[in-house]
Amino acid sequence: MESNVSDFILFIGRFHPLIVHLPIGFLCFAFMLELVGHYKKQPAMTSAIPLALLTGAISAAVACILGFMLSKSGDYEADVLNVHFWFGIATTGITFLAWLIRSEKINISKFEKGKHHISSLALIVVLLSVTGHYGGNLTHGDGYLTKYAPFGKKPIKELPQISKLEDAIVYDYLVNPILQNRCVSCHNNSKKKGGLSFQDTIAIQNGGKNGAAFVAGNAAKSEMIRRVLLDEHHEDVMPPEGKTPLTEEEVEIMKYWINNANADFSIKVGSVKTSEAIRSIASNMLKIEGVVEKSVETLPILSKINDEILNEVIASGFKVRELVFESNLYEIVLPTSTITEDNKDELDAKLLKLLKIKEHIFWLSLGDNSLNDSHLEVISQFKNLRKLNLYKNQITDSGVMALLDNESITSLNLYQTNVTKKSLDLFSKMKNLKRVYLWGTDIHKNDLSPYLSKEHFPEIVL
Amino acid sequence: MCNNHDKLRSNNKDLQNIEKQWDRRTFFKKTSLGLGAIALGSLLNSEKSWANVGSFADDKYALDALVKNNLGLPHHLPKAKRVVYLFQSGGPSQIDLFDYKPKLKDMFGNDLPDSVRAGQRLTGMSADQTAFPIAPSIMNFKQYGESRAWVSDAMPYLSEIADDLCFIKSMHTDAINHDPAITFFQTGSQQPGRPSIGSWISYGLGSDNDNLPTFISLVSKNGSGQPLYSRLWGNGFLPTEHQGVQFRSGKDPVLYLGNPENYDGEDRRNMLNYLNKLNGIAYDTYGDSEINARISQYEMAYKMQTSVPEVTDTSDEPDYIFDMYGEDSRNPGTYAANCLMARKLLEKDVKFVQLYHQGWDQHANCPGGLKMQCKNTDQATAALIKDLKQRGMLEDTLVIWGGEFGRTVYSQGQLTNTNYGRDHHPKAFTMFMAGAGIKPGFTYGETDDFSYNIIKDPVHTHDFQATLLHLFGIDHERLIYKYQGRRFRLTDVHGKVVKDILS
Repeated sequence: MESNVSDFILFIGRFHPLIVHLPIGFLCFAFMLELVGHYKKQPAMTSAIPLALLTGAISAAVACILGFMLSKSGDYEADVLNVHFWFGIATTGITFLAWLIRSEKINISKFEKGKHHISSLALIVVLLSVTGHYGGNLTHGDGYLTKYAPFGKKPIKELPQISKLEDAIVYDYLVNPILQNRCVSCHNNSKKKGGLSFQDTIAIQNGGKNGAAFVAGNAAKSEMIRRVLLDEHHEDVMPPEGKTPLTEEEVEIMKYWINNANADFSIKVGSVKTSEAIRSIASNMLKIEGVVEKSVETLPILSKINDEILNEVIASGFKVRELVFESNLYEIVLPTSTITEDNKDELDAKLLKLLKIKEHIFWLSLGDNSLNDSHLEVISQFKNLRKLNLYKNQITDSGVMALLDNESITSLNLYQTNVTKKSLDLFSKMKNLKRVYLWGTDIHKNDLSPYLSKEHFPEIVL
Repeated sequence: MCNNHDKLRSNNKDLQNIEKQWDRRTFFKKTSLGLGAIALGSLLNSEKSWANVGSFADDKYALDALVKNNLGLPHHLPKAKRVVYLFQSGGPSQIDLFDYKPKLKDMFGNDLPDSVRAGQRLTGMSADQTAFPIAPSIMNFKQYGESRAWVSDAMPYLSEIADDLCFIKSMHTDAINHDPAITFFQTGSQQPGRPSIGSWISYGLGSDNDNLPTFISLVSKNGSGQPLYSRLWGNGFLPTEHQGVQFRSGKDPVLYLGNPENYDGEDRRNMLNYLNKLNGIAYDTYGDSEINARISQYEMAYKMQTSVPEVTDTSDEPDYIFDMYGEDSRNPGTYAANCLMARKLLEKDVKFVQLYHQGWDQHANCPGGLKMQCKNTDQATAALIKDLKQRGMLEDTLVIWGGEFGRTVYSQGQLTNTNYGRDHHPKAFTMFMAGAGIKPGFTYGETDDFSYNIIKDPVHTHDFQATLLHLFGIDHERLIYKYQGRRFRLTDVHGKVVKDILS
């Protein structure tokens, strides 16, 4: 894989992927002309075929030469390259032959006229396809074409789900996913940019042209880390300009693996010295909850709501707003005084509409709309609800009781409702509750004193 | 994004023929760049790049517009749902209000060292002074709350809620005179013509209340000084429906909402329906988006006939609320009354309420003038924040207090033991914010001993604007509007979100 080819050869060679599309176009077009000419009985069409074949053959020859130059970089896997090389030569050769026959430079009139034209062109198209396919594999990696195909999906090797961060194998659970996401598209066993592949552990240990990618115990000296941390416009930066760089968290994980885990492939988090920061990043990556208090809230991932259902909700008078574009998380507001004493029978039906999108409701405002305790039983089923505004409604302590099952609410607005200090006990049991607004209720400042020493007690605003 | 405002697409045969006539320049542009653009378009996310097409024509899209933002907003989970921006026009003196500089006491009357001023340009009003005598603040400062924030005794009410506020003491701006500086703060450019912050937010996020404008501005009547122009809440090049609607100070905030004499207004709905139809035909013919703006303005005016009298009526507010905002709050059009009105508008989910209070321009008689300004505003500002908090609204309402620049440490004009004036100072001044997503009880940034230069964590006007948009879930680099061939942002090519003040 040693490359001592001059840069100029490689420069020219890199035009291969560009030029290679010319013969593809010419030859496919020739085939189409032949088909149309033959079956539509339009012989005029066929008169252009020799020209298409000749240009196809010449451009194919040029593509072959450029391709040969490119192959000198040594970035490609020898076996696939070999196949691609010979198929390319064969395609070019046969195209020339076809042109010779077609322009009657060679006479093979003893065959039935017409048939051999079609068959030779069909053969060329087949050869083109095969060559092209191998070429594509070389550039994009094996399986690029069918990765998202609806059929024949290979089951992805699933790592067993773990519940404790300590049990996670550092390489398998943390490092490998990063390499797979960011590096492997160019550094794999068939496309070894810089002679380096991250496809499996053996390949990683082999390193690349510039030696080992990772120096156990010393991230600063590891080529991979050095390249990743270069300025984004530096010539050597990895991933190269235009590809998505590693996030800060990912770099931290890589450093942690090299420095603390000695770039070992089987060691577990539990047996490595792990800082709080790393634990937090790692548990975020693995979606292990409760290990570390998370600073950034992760949003639940939800499917799209049917338009009809959403329109029904809007038609019943709710203001609907998606909180993050395409997150399917919504803020729902029932404008104040939509429901008054006069039309309070309508409220139940309206809330039932919300039940259809219960998981999608993130913030909910129902203030000043003649709600009573019975309505809160519906609301407590909204499993992703964070902010709940219930101010100026007929809500009492038993209504708060109904919300006890809901563990997601972080902010509860109950100003000018009929709750009493009995509710304070209930608030202390709602473990994610952070703030409760109780201005204008019967609760007074000195009612709070028994709770202030409690470990889980939300901030109360009076 | 939204390029379709640039070009008229009509359904009129004659007009279409004119549109089809390509001049030489168009021909070259389309033939040379057009193909490339198509290729690029398909490389980029094709679904999104066509997302706007037909949004007026198709009912389904119109319905989608209710819930789906066709600009791909918000970019991330917002903290703020609404904002009230208490603009203190004129440039409040940070040295006399928040930026406590005890060392100045010993330097009374000394000339400001050149090393501090460092050749900084001054306004024409004090550049000719032979000396720049240091004028320590006459106000007494104390620390308040658990956060131990310094506040002067000119702001007795605000000092009570210091723990809810986040002071930024390291604001700086580019402009040194009022109009360019205010225009810079409100629109991101010193030259007039760009959309104001409220218009950008209205354009980006739309309305939360169909019956009231998304962006409302109020100018209090009990402050006077440098004039304010309506372009400060103007829509610039954004579609006209995004401009701020000014509520006048006084009894009748919006004129001509009442029905004229001898007309009961009963058939107005019919009239509007018919007018909308006609306007719809005109839009179909000429394709000018301003026609749509006109339709929506007629509709809004119709709805405001009922919604505005309702929301501006403060008669149902209990006495203790008026007491909280201060005696002025019973007098419509004062700063205090506007603060109360602002709360009512915010309660109705008006997204952007912009208050202006003039008169903070103390070139002369700084101590007296400042005390007067504070007397007119301090209680109501504090009351608004407290009122929002007790209603649970401070959680998703952003409160901003600040002017267009600060004031100098040296005295403009004569310095005496009891009196001094201060000139404009853009290099360092104080603002505070509270509420949605902002760290309460926090002070960010520092100035030198003269409150003249920033020594830690500078926050530029564009940084402030970027942070404001960030709190609404908007990445300020991605809220873009293409106008006359150029892509515009509120923060132009600047601005960094001040992450350290976010909770």
